[in-house]
Amino acid sequence: MPTIVIASPKGGAGKSTTAILLGTELAHAGAEVVMLDCDPNRSLTLWSSRSPLPPRIDVLSDIDESSIIRQIKTRDIDGNIVIVDLEGVASRLVSRAISQADLVVTPMRATTLDATIGARALQLVAEEEEALDRNIPHSVVFTMTKAVKSKQHKGIATSLIGQGVDLIDPPLMERAAFSAIFEFGGDLRSIPPQGNMAGARDNARAFSEQIYRRLTEES
Amino acid sequence: MADESPFRIDLGKLRSRNKDTSPKTVSRSDSAGEKHGFVERAPRKKRGRKPSPRTGQVHAKVLPDVAREISNEAKRRGVQQGVLIEEAWTLYRSSREK
Repeated sequence: MPTIVIASPKGGAGKSTTAILLGTELAHAGAEVVMLDCDPNRSLTLWSSRSPLPPRIDVLSDIDESSIIRQIKTRDIDGNIVIVDLEGVASRLVSRAISQADLVVTPMRATTLDATIGARALQLVAEEEEALDRNIPHSVVFTMTKAVKSKQHKGIATSLIGQGVDLIDPPLMERAAFSAIFEFGGDLRSIPPQGNMAGARDNARAFSEQIYRRLTEES
Repeated sequence: MADESPFRIDLGKLRSRNKDTSPKTVSRSDSAGEKHGFVERAPRKKRGRKPSPRTGQVHAKVLPDVAREISNEAKRRGVQQGVLIEEAWTLYRSSREK
């Protein structure tokens, strides 16, 4: 089953939030999901310790550059979707994880700084495609977006699309429920109500459907 | 709360794909990463022998032949002389407790 790598060398771009929302939604939709926590900050591990994990989800911690490929290979089997949450730095761990990806998702806030640093992940994917002589599908998702898009947001989106970057629609909006998931653990169906829960669930589900569509299109 | 519009995954559509994990491929991936500054950042493990937990010290002068015998026995077993002293101390204590 596919390996989805969440990669951006920019810290605070929303990688772990994206990984958890995607993992919990895919598991809710019926997939067995293995999440690899490769971030030294152990965000996924902290989330997983808050409350019992939702059904069909497993979290593995303390994955480093020497074990990442072996861990992905072991879990990349029929019946599993592997989601790799990476550290927010430019490291060999990131390039090795990308080498095993069926889809690379780069979360970025719609700011010039995030786009500039996040673009390095896209350049790396292109370099690895050439070096490994295989297509590595990759997409960008805007995170923490507002209901009303700023000029900067629109400008960056236009620029990325103009460069042929696959931009996932919908973006992941800034929502109380998305940040509260780290406080309570579990998923958007188990945490106490935080703001517009129906909107948060719809947003996460629509985003995950887009990922699923990309995975099945490419296979 | 019920899920208004759940989507279901067709597991049959998601296939495991073979990806090369040979050392050659890993090396090519590493080189590609290095071109863009994605370099090794894992903390290096400290080299060499780990420090001994034996930080206590005794000041014992013994007869030369006893010193030779202790030294030879420690070499034979591949342990520090302090280990023999610890064992002797354990024996001494157990004999006192009887």
